[in-house]
Amino acid sequence: MADSSEIDNALVAKLGGDATLLALMPNGVYIEEAPPGMTRFVIVSLVTAIDEPIFGGDGFEDGLYLVDPRALSTSGGDVKAAAARIKTLLHLQPLTVAGYTSMIVHKDGRPGGRVEVDQVDASIRWNKRPAYYRVQMAPV
Amino acid sequence: MSILSGRNGQVLYDPAGVTPVALISLKEWKASFKTDYIDVTCFGDTNKVKVPGLADIAGSGNGFWNSTNVVLFAAASATTPGKLKLVPSSVEPTFFCSGLAYMSADIDVPVNGAPAVSFSWVAAGPFPWAP
Repeated sequence: MADSSEIDNALVAKLGGDATLLALMPNGVYIEEAPPGMTRFVIVSLVTAIDEPIFGGDGFEDGLYLVDPRALSTSGGDVKAAAARIKTLLHLQPLTVAGYTSMIVHKDGRPGGRVEVDQVDASIRWNKRPAYYRVQMAPV
Repeated sequence: MSILSGRNGQVLYDPAGVTPVALISLKEWKASFKTDYIDVTCFGDTNKVKVPGLADIAGSGNGFWNSTNVVLFAAASATTPGKLKLVPSSVEPTFFCSGLAYMSADIDVPVNGAPAVSFSWVAAGPFPWAP
C-alpha cells in the first residue's frame, strides 16, 4: 500500500545519504525544521500535494517540495554549492520509494529570498538558496 | 441507492464488438443523448412547434497514457465499430449504456506534466441504457 509520507522520507534519505552534500551541510537534512543549535542544514517541506484520481484507483501523486539549504551567516556554509549539489541529486533523477514507481523529479522554479533574519535574534542572518522540486510518483 | 462517486466509473471496450474490457488509467467519460427537433411551425400557431427527429448519441472521455493498454489508439484507426460500454459506477454494475461505437483518440504530452489521452466516440447503432 502506497504511503505518501514515504515520498517525503525518500527525499530526505537521498539528500541525507550524500557525502558531498553532507560535507557542505554537515548538520543533515530534515523535514520542516532542524533541531536547535544547528547552523548548516537542509530543510525539506511539502508545499502542495495532489492525488490525481483515475477510475477505480489512484493515478499518481504530484507533490511540490521546497528544498532549502540554510547556513548561519557566520558559519561559512556554502549554500550556493549545496543548492547545486541538491539539483544534481534530484533534477531528472529517479527516486526510489516503496510502493511507488518514480515518474519524474524535477526542479520547478525557486522562491525569492536568499537571506533571512532570525526570528529570535534579529542580529542573526541565515543564508539560503531554496528551490522547488516537483515529485510525481505512481502507486504500484 | 444514494448518489455515487465518479471514482468508480468505467469505460469498457471490445474492438471485436462482443465482450468489452475495462480500459485503464482513464478518469472521465461523457455521453450525450441529444435529439434533433424538426420545426413544423405553421401559419396561425402561437409559438414554434417542433417534433422529435433522431437522437445523436456521442461522447468523449480522457485520462492518462499507459502503455499497458493502447486499445484506444487501435480503435481510432478501426474501420469497424467496437462495443463500448460506459458504467457510471462499478458499485452498480448493472446500470450502464452500451452499443457499437466508432472511436477517435488524441494524446497530449506536455513537458511539465503526465502524458494525457482523450477520446471521443459516436454511436454506430443503438446505444441503450440498462436496465
